[in-house]
Amino acid sequence: MSLDAAVREAARSTPDAVAVRDADGPVTYAELDRRSRALAEELAARGVGRGDRVVLWAPKSADLVAATQAVLRAGAVYVPVHGDAPAARVRALAEDCSAAAVVASDGRVPALAGLPAPAGVLPLGLARGPVRGTALPAPAGDGDPAYILYTSGSTGRPKGVTVSHGAALAFVGWAAAEVGARPDDVFANHASFGFDLSVLDLYAAFRAGASVFLVAEDRAHDPHALVDLLRRERISVWYSVPSVLTAMVRRGGLTEHPAPERLRAVLFAGEPFPVRYVRELAAWTGARLLNLYGPTETNVCAFHEVRAADLERDRPAPIGRAACGDLLEVLRDDGAAAGPGEVGELVVAGPTLMLGYWGHPPLDGPHRTGDLVRVLPDGLLDYVGRRDSMLKVRGHRIEPHEVEAVLESHPGVARAAVVCAGSGLEAALTAFLVPAPGGAGALSVRRHLVERLPPGMVPDLIRFVDELPRNANGKIDRAGLTAAAEQMTNGEAP
Amino acid sequence: MNAGPDREKTEEVLMAFIRERFLDGDPGGELEPTSPLIDWGLLTSLNSAVLLNFLHREFEGSVAVERITAKDLRDVRSIAALLCGAPGDRP
Repeated sequence: MSLDAAVREAARSTPDAVAVRDADGPVTYAELDRRSRALAEELAARGVGRGDRVVLWAPKSADLVAATQAVLRAGAVYVPVHGDAPAARVRALAEDCSAAAVVASDGRVPALAGLPAPAGVLPLGLARGPVRGTALPAPAGDGDPAYILYTSGSTGRPKGVTVSHGAALAFVGWAAAEVGARPDDVFANHASFGFDLSVLDLYAAFRAGASVFLVAEDRAHDPHALVDLLRRERISVWYSVPSVLTAMVRRGGLTEHPAPERLRAVLFAGEPFPVRYVRELAAWTGARLLNLYGPTETNVCAFHEVRAADLERDRPAPIGRAACGDLLEVLRDDGAAAGPGEVGELVVAGPTLMLGYWGHPPLDGPHRTGDLVRVLPDGLLDYVGRRDSMLKVRGHRIEPHEVEAVLESHPGVARAAVVCAGSGLEAALTAFLVPAPGGAGALSVRRHLVERLPPGMVPDLIRFVDELPRNANGKIDRAGLTAAAEQMTNGEAP
Repeated sequence: MNAGPDREKTEEVLMAFIRERFLDGDPGGELEPTSPLIDWGLLTSLNSAVLLNFLHREFEGSVAVERITAKDLRDVRSIAALLCGAPGDRP
């Protein structure tokens, strides 16, 4: 079975039901199916076929959803790039995955002129073109790749997490069952399509013949707008990272009005959720509060439904137990299984695991997450932190070396170190820079960054220093820099 | 500061805050009142919230500040125009 089958099935059984709502209004399953078919035919006519990669670069819209479907219907693999990403990022990722084609919003096509993609750069508007009824390739199978999500890589280059139809379906099937998705549900899609939880919003809804409201990128961090749309669009299942929910509570006035009765489930993932805001949510709504956990490489592999006892803790809710049929192991440094109270690295095996990183050998065993967890007496797992230098900034996983590499490619920057100060909503990605002879201005550095990195990876704070501090073994003293960054932000959080 | 701030003075206040907070003081004087704050990477999602917070604190009591959202933070000049209530500047 392929991930795109759900929309085709719903288009047959409930063609007039609303599949997607965006700023332009509702789109039915029949229309979504038609648009995806039109674009799939266009892709196939240009030679895109099974296993080919197609980069998608456009702001969120029903047409972009149709494009993900179209790529899958052509038997190919979609590679979503954030709608606000610069053209240089799109080119770099298209090159990394040897993309056969790019589908871009119509106005952005010229920015990719000369891109060496055999099937070219297609305007997204082709989804509104005619359906000719030409043949499409046979549907992909469980083991075929469905999409590639690029995450920060430890080498300083982004890594393409390649997910099969089978892994995505295991994740989506579990989520739809756990939430009890049904045709009258309205899922909010807050996550960008480059983030794995967007697959839950879209496909758990499609599987149930429900509808999805797409939260536009330019409203995704506006807490007032989010609170307004949660009410106005009659959302019944909400997912976002905790820092967004926190902002909705703190600044958007979420809990100042009675909770909508339709809201049945609030899902969150990607970072620890401060318990005081979970308490506020629990006091406000009777909706289920579900804490999901999983690196991109594993999809969601653990979850926990928040219960009264969790609200009495002084730390975030546990990440819980295995989800989606996955198997979780917690291994101490000596390789032995961690017992109750002990901390170890979380290792995941099971049906939701990625195929591997694009361009690297396939994954041939369990995935070591690099996340440290504690085994609680009742067998639930608590998230403790990261083993390596990976940073978590407001739900984005950021490898500092990747940002540092871009900073150091600016002619005015000799050395760079990137750390994260604070946590949750207040987390600030902070860059310390040693200027090269001749120097550089912070504004010039910011312009350099914003042209090369997705929005979540551009540092919030920039400070020039004469030297980067080193620890005894000569490595950059990141703990010292983090402490300095925290002093800089102290008392100035939003 | 209360309602009806002077536009030139408002620009100065905004420029000083942005330089200090987001540009490490901007010793080279790169920032202009018309520099695009979002397109040039100054306003990350966190920085937008920090700037909005500053506006609410600094211009408390101004009617205009209550209506400003992250989408209005285009550049210093247009923020100052909104705060000072220039006719036609509000969409």
